[in-house]
Amino acid sequence: MSGPNDDNMSPHTQLSSHFFGDLLDSIIVDVASECHRIAKLGLDRNLEEEEEELRLSTQARVRAADPSNSGEANSKYVVDIFGQTHPPVANEIFECMNCGRSIMAGRFAPHLEKCMGKGRKARLKATRSSTAAQNRYSRGSPVSTYSPYSNSSSTNRLSNGTPGVAGEEYSNGTLEEP
Amino acid sequence: MATKNLLYTNPKLCQHLADYKLRQGLSGYKSLQNCLKTTPNGRTSIYKWDTEIPRCCFCNGYQGRLFLCLICSSISCSSHALLHAQSEDGHDVVVDIERSELYCCLCSDQVYDPDFDKVVVSKNMMDMPNNTYTVDDGIRRSSKRRKVNSLMDLDFRKSKRLVSMRDRREKSCYPLGLRGLNNLGSTCFMNSVLQALLHAPPFRNYFLSGRHDRETCKKRSADRLCLACNIDVIFSAVYSGDRTPYSPAQVLYSWWQHSAKLNLASYEQQDAHEFFISVLDGIHEREGNGRTPTKDNGDCQCIAHRVFSGLLRSDVTCMACGSTSTTYDPCLDISLNMDTSNFSSIDVANKSVTPKENSGICTLSACLDLFSRPEKLGSDQKLYCQNCQEKQDSFKQMSISRLPLVLSLHIKRFEHSVVRRMARKIDWHLQFPFSLDMTSYLSSSIVRNRLGNRIFTFENNEADTSAEFEIFAVITHSGMLESGHYVTYLRLRNQWYKCDDAWITEVDEATVRASQCYMIFYAQKMLYYKANDGLSCMPLSPMRDPFFPIAGCC
Repeated sequence: MSGPNDDNMSPHTQLSSHFFGDLLDSIIVDVASECHRIAKLGLDRNLEEEEEELRLSTQARVRAADPSNSGEANSKYVVDIFGQTHPPVANEIFECMNCGRSIMAGRFAPHLEKCMGKGRKARLKATRSSTAAQNRYSRGSPVSTYSPYSNSSSTNRLSNGTPGVAGEEYSNGTLEEP
Repeated sequence: MATKNLLYTNPKLCQHLADYKLRQGLSGYKSLQNCLKTTPNGRTSIYKWDTEIPRCCFCNGYQGRLFLCLICSSISCSSHALLHAQSEDGHDVVVDIERSELYCCLCSDQVYDPDFDKVVVSKNMMDMPNNTYTVDDGIRRSSKRRKVNSLMDLDFRKSKRLVSMRDRREKSCYPLGLRGLNNLGSTCFMNSVLQALLHAPPFRNYFLSGRHDRETCKKRSADRLCLACNIDVIFSAVYSGDRTPYSPAQVLYSWWQHSAKLNLASYEQQDAHEFFISVLDGIHEREGNGRTPTKDNGDCQCIAHRVFSGLLRSDVTCMACGSTSTTYDPCLDISLNMDTSNFSSIDVANKSVTPKENSGICTLSACLDLFSRPEKLGSDQKLYCQNCQEKQDSFKQMSISRLPLVLSLHIKRFEHSVVRRMARKIDWHLQFPFSLDMTSYLSSSIVRNRLGNRIFTFENNEADTSAEFEIFAVITHSGMLESGHYVTYLRLRNQWYKCDDAWITEVDEATVRASQCYMIFYAQKMLYYKANDGLSCMPLSPMRDPFFPIAGCC
C-alpha cells in the first residue's frame, strides 16, 4: 500500500506509511479469516431470524410513530377485555392490616406509609432537619443503585437514591414494627 | 465426557485435504505443534524462524500472508501458493503462519479440519495449564435436570386439578391468570412485576400446585410475615376465575416490612427492578430456611433460585502472558447497559439523552454483545498475574456459565451519578426479539471464541440444556424519570395482553415491539410451550363434569 504522493514524502514518512499499510492489511485479513471460519462452521446460524426481528421492530415503530394511530401509552380505556370499566382511583374498600381502619384501595399506599411510620412525610415529623427532604435526588426516583451481580441476599445492597443522603434520613424515625 | 457438539456444522474436508490426510495422517499436524504459540488475545501463530524472517521461496517477499507447506515446510506468499502446489505434486495444503489456519492452494480457500484444531487447542492447554477451559461440572447439572423435570411434570399434573375449579363469575373465555391489579397509590412498580411473576411458567406451576403450604408456614413461624405466602394468596386470587381487579395490599405490606431492613423507603415512585430483586430475596429468606448465602446459590432449593438463578462466569486474562483466572457468581437477572456506540448528545438540562438523527437502532443483542465483550481494565486496575509474578494490564470478559429457567433481563435506563449529582433516563428505543437464542453468550461459546473458534469439544454439558428462549412478559416504563408509569405486556398462547394496573386489554405484536422495554422476561422454550398449551379455558357446559380433563386443554 503506497501513499498518493510517495515522492513528496520523506523516507521516514514513507517507511511509517509502509508499515502502517502492512499492519492494516494484516488486521483486515484477521477479520476476514475469523468471519470466514464463523460462516463455514455455521456459527452465525441465526442471522436470518435476527434480521426478521429487526424488520418487524422497525415496522412496529413506524406504525407507532404515525399520529393517526391511537396513542397507546396514555390512552383512555373504555372497557377492558372482560367488559369491565374501572375508575382512575381504585375504589375497593378494605381494612388496613396495620391499624384496622377501612381504607380505599387507591389511597392505601400513602395511608400505610404514614401508618407504618415510614416515608418522607412521616419521617419529617421525626427528623429535625428539613433540608434533607429538599434533596431532589431523594429515594423517590426509580433508580437502580445496587451492584447487579452481587448475591441477592446481601443486605447492604439496596439503597434507593443517593447513598449518603439516604443513610442520614433513615437513621432517624424508622420505627421497628411491633 | 465429550458431548455431541451441536454448535458446529462439521465442515466437509475438501478433496485435497482429505487426500493429504489419507496419505500423511496427523503426523504433519503433530510435528507443527511445538512451534505453535497463542497470544493472549487468542491468535495462534507458528514460530520457528529464529535467525531470519520467513520469506517466500519464489519471490523472496516477506509481506502479506505467508504459508507453510505441510509436507516440505517451504514458504510461499499468497501470490505464489498456487505455484507451489502446481510444481510439487500433492503439496496442496499449507498453513497460514500468522494465524495457523489451513489453506488449500488448489481450492484457493481456507479450509477447516477438527483434527488440526484439536492440535492447536491442545497446545494452548499445555502452555496454559492453569486456565479454565471447562465450563461447568456435569454432576450438579444432572441432578438439577431431575429437579427441573419434577418441577414440570408433577406440578403440572396437580395444577390441572386446581385450575379446573372454576369460579362462576368468570366472564369470558380468556386465559386463566389474567386479572387486573389495583393501583394502591403509585404502586404500578409492584403491579408490573407481579404480573410477570404470575406468568413465569415454573414459578406459576409451583404455587398453583400448592407447593408452598401456607398452613405449615404459619405454624412454623408464628406471625412472622412470609412473602411467599402472600404471593401464594395472589396466585390463588388471580387464577380463581374472578376477573374483578385484585388489590395486592398484603404483598405491599409484607414487602415493606422486609425492605425496612434494607432501608428502602416510601411508596413513591419505586423502581420495578429493585422490587423484583427484593421480592425474590424475601422469598429466598423464608424458603431457603434463612440459609446464609453461599458462593453458589445454584444449589439453593428455594423456588426463587430454582427458577431465576443463573451462573455468571468472569474471566480475567493477563495481556502479557495470556493466563486467565476464572470466577463464578450467581445472578437472579442480568443488567444490561445500553450500547451507546451509535448515539451521542447528552442533554443534561432535560435529563434526557437524544439519539442522533438516522442513527442505528439499539438492539438487545448489541447490549448482550457489550455485556460479553472483552473489556480492558484500566491501568489503575492492574491485577497481579500469577504466571508473570507481577502486576499486568488485563482484560475481563463476562459470559453465562449456566442459564436459568427464566431469564430476566434488566435494561439500565436509569442512571444515577452521585459524583455528577444528576439522574437521567435513557429514552431510546431498544429492539428485542420474541425468540432469543443465548448460545453465543454462553461461556462455552465465549471461551471458544477467545481461542479462535477452533472446533473442539470443551468439557461441558451445556449442549443438554437449551439456550433457546421465548418471551412471555415485558415490563415497560413510560414518562419521565420521577413521574413515570410501569405497564406489563404478557404473551399468553400467542396473544399479547396489556396489564395496566386494573386494566387488561388485548394488544397486537407491533405495540409490544414499539414499546420502551425496561425488563424483559424469557422462559426456556420447552417450558414456554408447555405452559401455553395448558392455558386454554374450556367453555362451560352443563353436561360436562368440570373436573374432567379435556385432551389438549389444561
